[in-house]
Amino acid sequence: MLELIRGQRLPLSSITHSSSVEVAFDIQGSLALDLACFGLDAQGKLSDDRYMVFFNQPESPCQSVRLLTPTTFGLSLAEVPAGIDRLVFTAAIDGQGTLRQLGASRFRIGDVGLPKVACAFAGEIFAEERAVMLVEFYRKDGAWRLNAVLQGFNEGLDALVHHFGGEVAEVPPAPAPAGHVSLEKKVAAAAPQLVSLAKKAQVSLEKARLTGVRARVGLILDGSGSMHNQYKRGRVQEVVNRLLPLAVHFDNDGQLDCWAFGDLPQQLGSITLQNFHDFIDTDHGGWRKWELGSRINTEYRVIEQAIEFYRRGNGATPVYILFVSDGGIYDSRRIVKLISEAATLPIFWQFVGLAGRNYGILEKLDDMNGRAVDNCNFFALDDLHDLSEEILYDRLMEEFPGWLKAARAKGIVA
Amino acid sequence: MALTLQKGGNLSLSKTDPSLTKILVGLGWDPRVTDGAAFDLDASAFLLNADGKVRGEQDFIFYNQLRSPEGAVEHAGDSRDGLGDGDDEAIKVDLTKVPADVDKIAFVVTIHEAEARRQSFGQVGKAFIRIVNSVSGVEVVRFDLAEDASTETAMIFGELYRHNGEWKFRAVGQGYAGGLKAMCNQFGLNL
Repeated sequence: MLELIRGQRLPLSSITHSSSVEVAFDIQGSLALDLACFGLDAQGKLSDDRYMVFFNQPESPCQSVRLLTPTTFGLSLAEVPAGIDRLVFTAAIDGQGTLRQLGASRFRIGDVGLPKVACAFAGEIFAEERAVMLVEFYRKDGAWRLNAVLQGFNEGLDALVHHFGGEVAEVPPAPAPAGHVSLEKKVAAAAPQLVSLAKKAQVSLEKARLTGVRARVGLILDGSGSMHNQYKRGRVQEVVNRLLPLAVHFDNDGQLDCWAFGDLPQQLGSITLQNFHDFIDTDHGGWRKWELGSRINTEYRVIEQAIEFYRRGNGATPVYILFVSDGGIYDSRRIVKLISEAATLPIFWQFVGLAGRNYGILEKLDDMNGRAVDNCNFFALDDLHDLSEEILYDRLMEEFPGWLKAARAKGIVA
Repeated sequence: MALTLQKGGNLSLSKTDPSLTKILVGLGWDPRVTDGAAFDLDASAFLLNADGKVRGEQDFIFYNQLRSPEGAVEHAGDSRDGLGDGDDEAIKVDLTKVPADVDKIAFVVTIHEAEARRQSFGQVGKAFIRIVNSVSGVEVVRFDLAEDASTETAMIFGELYRHNGEWKFRAVGQGYAGGLKAMCNQFGLNL
């Protein structure tokens, strides 16, 4: 079998004259790699999202590119539309690590079930890359050719998506900062199960004219005993899922800072597109094992901890904190004092009452006088499912833009 | 409007631009957009006799020997004088100073430490060579190397050569394995 090396090009006709071609990857080592095939136009851009073929979208239109197994693609090259000039096969690390850790891997290309060329690659040809173009098919002078690209990007999938024209071509309602990748594409690449949420979040962000805003996002979760059922039913995890697209949009790191509290607060790990899906059940041993002291409500301690966290290392970047509680508030006076004093900080507090009652002071915080700016909002839900996802995002983004404007005017926010 | 040659094509410089004596040979390629080990491309020029060989080490103009003794060929390196906009490397040639026993000047681009770094011209996009009249600033001819390079680690982009008493330019676009060392050997220089 012909062995290719990095950078090698050859006409496909030297391998096969069939239009049906199989591309199989054999990835070794402990890295978790997500494979994808990008169908690009003559400018090297992904102008049609349907031509990104990966586990969550395993077929292109006309089925010209199909993911047959998690590591095998089937191509029907005669069916590839004329507007698609390049098929680039990529691998991106899901989780930690760099491609330097890749084991002795290879890809094989040929007729269905009958590979004709192979290309070996391993960590030694890489450095800090986290996403890589492995091989591409491209049209030249009317015929398909192959290139064993084997080059990539340290910034991982984001850089790859950016390379393929991640900036959305449509005219955005507000000018997006340079290099801004659409929320949907970022999410599509790393956590396709969140794509439909990301789309809805994007709409709310656009409506609220927040698309160009950079912010950190924090989540504070009530871990008191009365919340038990919400955790058990997966509702708290759903809160995480719904909030994460916002965090990814606002934050270049795409991470969500997270705390839980009972009598005592505990800062949990950061939630990312890589670890979110079972975060509540697994982080710090899972929600049942979080060290929150007595499972009662002592809000002020966690509020203090979060304020201290953002005061230390955040400068004047705006922070959006979602505070989820089922009520039963303790020591209202201290909460009022903390939130009032925190009005001079670049932190916005969105309190959400979930499946409880007796929200007490949380309901009234919104209307307190004597603050530098109105730095919080509150609404209550009997069940997370009572609101459509679209309306939820609208509600979450209801007062944040007004706060941003006011805080900017007072120099609280950069 | 400058002329564009296809691979293998040639052009009489004396006929195209009779005033041409001082020229700038601009070489370029797409900046690499990916990350990973450093990727260095170096341009060199070889002054060759009628047999296609150098007369001696002085005929090999590269990053460690930027000028030929008689001053006919000078590697401009990074010192651009405005003419080389868009070129990654530029080499100046004064045709009036080229020694009579030099028949040809070959312009070569090689990948530094290609083998150790497992790099090749298959990773280089949109390479070109162009000849500019450095007195008038006008581009005389250009050759865009078609994208068929593959595992080669050295590439002759183009050459200037004497033909019946005039200077011509040929679009070569020929790749070789073995990097700069192989090129030197080919031109009779044993390093």
